[in-house]
Amino acid sequence: MGKRDKTPELRQVTEFIWELPRTGGMRVPGRVYADERLLPAVLADNGTLQVSNVAHLPGIVGYSLAMPDIHWGYGFPIGGVAATDPREGGVISPGGVGYDINCGVRLIASTVPKEDAVSRIREIVTAMFRDVPCGVGSSGAIGKLSTRDVGAVMRDGAAWAVESGYGTATDLEHTEESGRLTTADPDAVGKRAIERGRNQLGTLGSGNHFLEVGYVDEVYDDEAARAYGLEPGMMTLMVHSGSRGLGYQVCDDSLDVMQRAAERYEIRLPDRQLACAPVLSPEGERYLAGMACAANYAWANRQILMTLARRAVARVFDATEPALGLRLVYDVCHNIAKMERHTTDGRERTLCVHRKGATRAFPDGHPDVPSRYRAVGQPVLIPGDMGTESFVCAGTERAMAETFGSSCHGAGRVMSRSRAKKDARGRDLRSELDAMGVVVMATGKSTLAEEMPRAYKDVASVVDVVDRAGIAAKVARLKPLGVVKG
Amino acid sequence: MTGRPEYTEIEHTADVGMTFRAPDIRSAFAGAAAAAFDMMCDLDSVASGASFEIRVEGRPDDLEHLMVRWLSELLYLYSSEGVLLSEFDILELKGVGASEGVGSLLTARVRGERFDATRHQMKTELKAPTYHQISVERPDDEWSVRVIFDT
Repeated sequence: MGKRDKTPELRQVTEFIWELPRTGGMRVPGRVYADERLLPAVLADNGTLQVSNVAHLPGIVGYSLAMPDIHWGYGFPIGGVAATDPREGGVISPGGVGYDINCGVRLIASTVPKEDAVSRIREIVTAMFRDVPCGVGSSGAIGKLSTRDVGAVMRDGAAWAVESGYGTATDLEHTEESGRLTTADPDAVGKRAIERGRNQLGTLGSGNHFLEVGYVDEVYDDEAARAYGLEPGMMTLMVHSGSRGLGYQVCDDSLDVMQRAAERYEIRLPDRQLACAPVLSPEGERYLAGMACAANYAWANRQILMTLARRAVARVFDATEPALGLRLVYDVCHNIAKMERHTTDGRERTLCVHRKGATRAFPDGHPDVPSRYRAVGQPVLIPGDMGTESFVCAGTERAMAETFGSSCHGAGRVMSRSRAKKDARGRDLRSELDAMGVVVMATGKSTLAEEMPRAYKDVASVVDVVDRAGIAAKVARLKPLGVVKG
Repeated sequence: MTGRPEYTEIEHTADVGMTFRAPDIRSAFAGAAAAAFDMMCDLDSVASGASFEIRVEGRPDDLEHLMVRWLSELLYLYSSEGVLLSEFDILELKGVGASEGVGSLLTARVRGERFDATRHQMKTELKAPTYHQISVERPDDEWSVRVIFDT
């Protein structure tokens, strides 16, 4: 059993908000989004203690927040959101972004009827498994890059992939930040990170990363679904991956620097993994410039993975991508820190918003929402656990007012990986999923076991909470047909 | 050389971790590496033909820091060279006592082989060791180690 620290008491504020009152060195209270049904899962591990730890960060404003998919991470909880004000000594903490910088999801719509996808699903999954490098030790679909090329990827993000023949300029319009953070500075990234980035561009990775073929099962909001191009009964594709070894190394390299910085700026924190530096300090600025490089690498990676998947599907149907209506709906990142304008305490200011396992959920009318979606709000993509269902939501004003424009990012684990593996022993997960109508191809048996459906909270209950709490609005539900896992 | 210790996997919701006891500090460092690689791939299936020299420096009197540097270094070797490691020989361990000076130093000879998908069944890929709840301490006459990894 993991070490359990003393879990703080939660006080109910509204039907969906539970507050951790300020105690000890907490600079703000904590707030967790959940309902009575999810609460036992929320309290089952150290997640809420981590919400109170995050509340110790200098310059934090409002609340230390947790989305309903909260679970125990390292430093920040997964599902954690925290905003700091740089002009009031606000800090940036690499622990609030995580190792897989800009891990994220993209959703592709199509005009392929579900029935056609079902009848070819084995061929589709096999083609994607063959064409998209995945699993441990796999190298990129595009060969080993030169150091100079890695620099260009880190600077230009998804646009680099498009210029190299992967996808179209329209894809960039439908990507958060257009697939590129302009604050990236390759000089802020160490040699080792660059070396790790050379042969992993265009690789899915292992663990919870996946490619999924599904279909639009139900639409809750016709107008938004129409704007997003999601038609009931049509096939969809989903890509979940991140910045691979380059991102892990950027994070790893920053931790030593941040520990020294925390001492230098006399920042005392309850968890060493929260080590941080003021946003407006050489250490803070350097981390943000390096983090942006890793984020851009991740966007280029997902752009390439999506293109490989779209091409595989087109080959199976012996048709062109446009003829199948294969179109990127949106790409969101759920491990990131961004400088954004928000109104808190009655004034608008620029804040450093950390989202660690949380998705941006900007409302209709916001200038950062692509013009095509501006009347309905930003698409929020919430994949469920393998073999069940996923949701598409839209960002809301309420999220802007309460959660720095953030919502949940997935189902949220409830079972440890080792527990899931023990639980899966003796079971044939592939056949079980097959019986549920989901074809799975994975490189490792244990990846399948760790990601087994019962290891996660029910995604429908998680999405129900964000929808009813008003921090994202349900648009559509997707059901899976096939999955490729690393 | 120290082999794989009897370690316990920590039930952490999102990540994986391990805890074990060791008779001395060298076994604590070698054992942590062996346990980490064993969590990725059964050590018994990994040969030891390739050999590498490792040198890591840490802050003075900060065993947790030296442990993170050491494990990070080995995982970097894994990810950059595609090498699975199975044997860990700690050659030198300095600056870990209360009065030993300005920094700590660990040198080691480690052995393993290149990952081969036909022979190596990967279990979990570890991204990095974290400082979350980390401990390298000597509560009694033995050492106690605890590390949680991001996966």
